[in-house]
Parts: sequence; structure tokens; C-alpha cells
Amino acid sequence: MVLDRLDITWIALIGLAMATVLVPSVVIRPLLANALLLTFAALKGRRIVLDFLDLRAAPALWRDLVSAWVLIVVLFAWLASAIVALI
Amino acid sequence: MIWVLIFSELVAFGLFLGAFSVARAIHPAVFAAGQATLNSNIAGLNTLVLVTSGWAAARATRSARTRERRASRRWLLIAMALGGLFIAIKLAEYAEEIGRGVGLETSPFFTLYFLLTGFHLLHVGLGIVILAVVCRRAETSGVETGTAFWHMVDLVWIVMFPILYLVR
Repeated sequence: MVLDRLDITWIALIGLAMATVLVPSVVIRPLLANALLLTFAALKGRRIVLDFLDLRAAPALWRDLVSAWVLIVVLFAWLASAIVALI
Repeated sequence: MIWVLIFSELVAFGLFLGAFSVARAIHPAVFAAGQATLNSNIAGLNTLVLVTSGWAAARATRSARTRERRASRRWLLIAMALGGLFIAIKLAEYAEEIGRGVGLETSPFFTLYFLLTGFHLLHVGLGIVILAVVCRRAETSGVETGTAFWHMVDLVWIVMFPILYLVR
């Protein structure tokens, strides 16, 4: 059986999703755990944007807008949690 | 046109998630207490279900592009079934939470939790309806449009899950 890009992306997403659930029990420091959780979310989002939504060959405007949405939401969430941790 | 709709939905969810992050920064203890009562394993299972559904939808698009309509319909049916499973698991999670006496007005955390996940759940239901409509003819443009909406729903959950359930 030959795996194509969609299969590899699905396997990567499953692996990242399972790693996401494990992070809070493995990484004790909240700032680092949050950074890992949100990095995993951004990586999963990127795979969905490029391979499932198939924006790899789409006009750059749509690809960049959707990719920027993922980055902005996870960065904002991390910054908000970092402010709480540092206060 | 579908991309305008998808981006509008992403902006709405982004604002909701931003409001959630700000509210958590204002009420960290309330949000930590609320989050501690959630079952992240069930939500994690739902992530696997929705990601697999997205994979099936992507395969449906690929089959539609090569004019394999039967295969496209089969993948769409799998995507819809997994979407239905996501809804069933989420409703079971809600039932368990409501059974514990948790509701919309329990705390700011649960108000935003139920609004965000409920809004997303409505989109999952709408996505299944859209997939069912495009499944009838399984034409390339229809399948591409329907699955694009479905992947948007998938993408939102991928970002929403850690922010609601896991980020401390």
C-alpha cells in the first residue's frame, strides 16, 4: 500500500492530536506547555490549510489569509496566557 | 463566493476565541476551575474523529476531480458519518456536564465554553447538510465547495480544542 500526501497528512494530524492531549501531563511548566500546545495547533492548522483545503496551489491571498488566521489566533491565546503566568 | 463565507466564519470564530483568551486573562482562577472539570480525553477523541472525517472529505474531492463519482460519494458518506459521530460524542459530553449541574450561567468560563462549542457544533451540523447536498450529484465544483466548508469546521476545532480544554 502506497501512502500519498493526504494519508501522510492524516497520520501526522492524528499523531499531533494524540501528542496534544499528552502535553499537560508531561510538561509541567505552563508557559512551555502552552507554547507546545499552540505550536501543535498551528502545525495541524497548516497541514489542513495546505493539504485538506488544498490551498498549496491556490492564489496566495487565500492561502495567506487562512494561514494568518491560524497564527493570529494561537499567538493571541499564547500571549494572553503568558501575561497571566508572568503577573 | 465560498471563500468569502469561509473567511467570514473564521473571523467570527477568531473574535470569539480572542474574547475567550482575554476573559481567561481577566479571571484566571475561574477559568482554571472550569477547565479542570472538562473531559479533555473525550474532546481529544473528537479531534481524532473530525480529523479523520476531514481526510475522508479530502479523498472525496480527489475522487470527484478524477470523475470517480461513486468513490467520491463513498468518501463523502464516511465524512458525514464521522461528522455525526462527532456530534453524538459532543452531545454526550454536554449531557455529562449538564448532569453535574453545569450550565451557561455557572461561570464566565462555561458561558463562553457553551457558546463557542455550541456555535461550532451548529457548523458541524450545517456542514453535514452541505455534504449531503453535494453528495447527490458528486460534481467536482460542488464537492470542492462542500468539503472546503467542512475543512473550515475542522480547522476551527483544531485551534479551539487546545485553547478551551488544555491551555492553562
